[in-house]
Amino acid sequence: MRILLVEDEKKVADIIERGLKAERFAVDICHNGRDGWQMANTYDYDLLILDLMLPEMSGTEILEKVRRKNQSVPILILTARDGMADKVKNFESGADDYLTKPFAFAELLVRVKALLRRGPVNRSSLLRVGDLEIDRLSQNVRRAGKKIELTAKEYGLLEYLATHPGRVFSRTMIIEHVWDQSFQGLTNIVDVYVRHLREKVDDPFTTKLLRTVRGVGYSLSDEVPA
Amino acid sequence: MNSRSITFRLVAWYAGSLAAIFVLLCALLYLDLRHFLENDRRQAQARRARQIANTLLIHVKQTGEAYVASQTKDWYEPEISDRFIRITRADGSLVYVSGAPKDGSFDPAEVPPLPAESHAEFYRKLDLSNGKTLIDAALNFKSAGNPGYLVEFGELLDPVEAMLDRLFLQLALGLPLAVGIITVGGFLLVRRALAPVEQITRAAESITLHNLSERLPVARTGDELERLSTALNRMIARLDDAFKNSKRFVADASHELRTPLTILRGELETLAETPHLNPELSERVASLLEEAIHLSKIVEQLLTLSRLDAGEAQSDWAALDLADLAKTTAEQMSLLAEDKDISLVCEAGQPVPVEGDRVRLKQVVVNLLDNAIKYTPQKGAIKLSVHAVNRDAVLEVEDNGVGIARQALPHVFDRFYRADQSSSADGKGTGLGLSIVKAICIAHSAEVEAVSVPSVGSRFRVVLPLFKN
Repeated sequence: MRILLVEDEKKVADIIERGLKAERFAVDICHNGRDGWQMANTYDYDLLILDLMLPEMSGTEILEKVRRKNQSVPILILTARDGMADKVKNFESGADDYLTKPFAFAELLVRVKALLRRGPVNRSSLLRVGDLEIDRLSQNVRRAGKKIELTAKEYGLLEYLATHPGRVFSRTMIIEHVWDQSFQGLTNIVDVYVRHLREKVDDPFTTKLLRTVRGVGYSLSDEVPA
Repeated sequence: MNSRSITFRLVAWYAGSLAAIFVLLCALLYLDLRHFLENDRRQAQARRARQIANTLLIHVKQTGEAYVASQTKDWYEPEISDRFIRITRADGSLVYVSGAPKDGSFDPAEVPPLPAESHAEFYRKLDLSNGKTLIDAALNFKSAGNPGYLVEFGELLDPVEAMLDRLFLQLALGLPLAVGIITVGGFLLVRRALAPVEQITRAAESITLHNLSERLPVARTGDELERLSTALNRMIARLDDAFKNSKRFVADASHELRTPLTILRGELETLAETPHLNPELSERVASLLEEAIHLSKIVEQLLTLSRLDAGEAQSDWAALDLADLAKTTAEQMSLLAEDKDISLVCEAGQPVPVEGDRVRLKQVVVNLLDNAIKYTPQKGAIKLSVHAVNRDAVLEVEDNGVGIARQALPHVFDRFYRADQSSSADGKGTGLGLSIVKAICIAHSAEVEAVSVPSVGSRFRVVLPLFKN
C-alpha cells in the first residue's frame, strides 16, 4: 500500500511517516503543494493525506485537481482550521475524511485503514478478543461462555474497542464514536464508563482485557503487555 | 416625560424665562398705567379746585360766601356726579361742603378736615370705610383782603380702579395662555429638531457585536447631527476593526498552536508506546501527554468560542425538541452522576419546540450538567427541567452543591474564570465550559443566568424563544 503525504510541517510529516512505516505502509512525502500535485499526478497512490495550508498550492487546490482527473483515490484532509465552512467546502470538493490537528496518531491510523478498507471495518457479526465474544446482531456479550449484561453505552464502548483489538483509542475518538460532538471536552465520562465496563468484563476474571495507556487512551487486548 | 431629557429641559427653560419676562413686563405696564391714571385724576381735580378759586373766591368780597357756595353747587352738581367739594376758611370753619352723593357711593363726613397747610396745592388719597378710594386735591387760596380759603375737590377713584382691575384680569388670563402656547410650540419645535437624535439612538441600540458591520443612518443636512452620526459611525468602524482583529487573533493563535501541539502529542505518543520503557520515564511521558491533551482541549474550546463569537452557530439551524434533547443528554450523563452517588432527575414531560443548532444546544446541557456534577458533593441531588413558559422555553439545572460565592456570581460566565481556586473538582477543567454555554446562548438569542447560595446550591437557567410553526 502506497500513501502520499503532503505536509509542509516537517516534524508533523516525520511523525506520521514513522507511524505509517511502522504499520508497513510505503510513504512518499512532499513539503509543498506543487510537488505534491506532481507526485499525485505522476504515480498511483492508494491514499492521499493532504494538509490544507501548503506553500505554492493549497491542499484544497490539489484536491480539486485530483478529483478533476476523476480519480477515485481516497483523500484524507489534515487541517489546523476546522471551521464548518472549510469542512463543507472540502467535502464538496471530494475529500473522503477530515482530521483536525492536533490528533492522536491512533486516530489517523484508524481513519487511514478505514479509507483503505483494510482491516478496520471488521464487518463480521462476531467479534472475539481472547475469551470475550461480542455478537453484534443480538448485542450479546459473553466471556468464558458467561453472559454479561451491559447498558447500551457500555456495549457501544466495548464494541468500538473490540473492532481493533490491541489498538489504543484516545478519549476523543471514543467520545466521537460512542457519544457525539457535544461531549467533546468531557473526557472524564469515558473514564467512568471504562471503570464500569471493567467491573463487569474484567473484575470477575483473572485475565484483564481492558488496558489503560496513560496519556493516550484505552485498548482491548488479550496479549500480555510488554 | 423624562424630566432629564433635552426636550424637557430646553422647553422648561425657554417657557420659564419667557413667562418671567412677560410677568415683569405686565407688572411694569400695570403699575405705570395706574400711576398715570391716578395722576391724571389728581391734576383734573386740582384744575377744578383752581377754577373755583380763580372764578368764584377771587370775587368773594363782592359776591359774598353764600354766592360762592351756591355757584359751586350749581356748576359741579357734586351730589349727582359723585364729587366731594369743600371750602373752608383759614380758621377751619366751613363755607361749603357738598352733600352725600345720590347713589350713596361715599359719605362726605368721612373726609377728615385738613390741617392748616402751608403748601399752596397738595393731594391726599383717602381709603374710605366702604373700601373705596377718594382722591382729594386741596388748594390754599389767599388774596388781598380776604382771610384765605382752603378749597378741596375730590372724586372717587372707582372708574380708574375698575379699568385697572379689568386689565389685571386680562393679563392674568392671557399670560398663562400665552405661556401655554409658547410651551407647546417650543415642544413641537424642539422635538422636530431632535427627531434625528432619536433615530440615531435607536439605530445605535440595534447595533451589537453581531452586526458591527452595520452603520447608523447619516442625514446629509450639514448640521451638528450629521457630524455626530458620522463620528459615531467612525467609532463603530474602529470597534468593528478592533473586534475583528481580536477574533482573527484568537483564530490565528489557536491555529498556530495546533501544529506544535500535533508534534508534541505525536512525539510523546511514540515515546509512550515504546516497548520496555523505563517505568519512571514512562510515568513522566504520560504526565506530559496529559498536559498536552489538556492544552489541546483549551485550544479547541478557545477556537469554539471564537467561532461562536463570529456567529458560526447558525450553520446547522433546525427545529428540535428541547425536552427530548435534555432527557437523552441526562441519560447519557447519568453514569457520571451515579459515580458520585448523585441523584440526577430530569423533569421534561411535554415537548418543548425550539430552533437552533442541535449539537450546540446539547453542549449547553452537557456543560451545565457536567458543571453541576463537578460542584455537587457525594450523595447530592441535581434536577434538570425543561418547561414552556409563555413564549419561552426554560431549561434549568439545579443542584444542592457547594454553590457560588456572591462576589464570584457575576463572573462565572467569564472566560478562564474559576469561582473557587481551591475547588474540590478534579482541576482538569479548562475554565471555558460556562463561557461556551454563554456564547451558545447568545448565538441562540437566549438568556442564561445563574442564581446561587453558597453551600445550599446553584441554579442555572437558560431561556430561549419557543419555536412557532
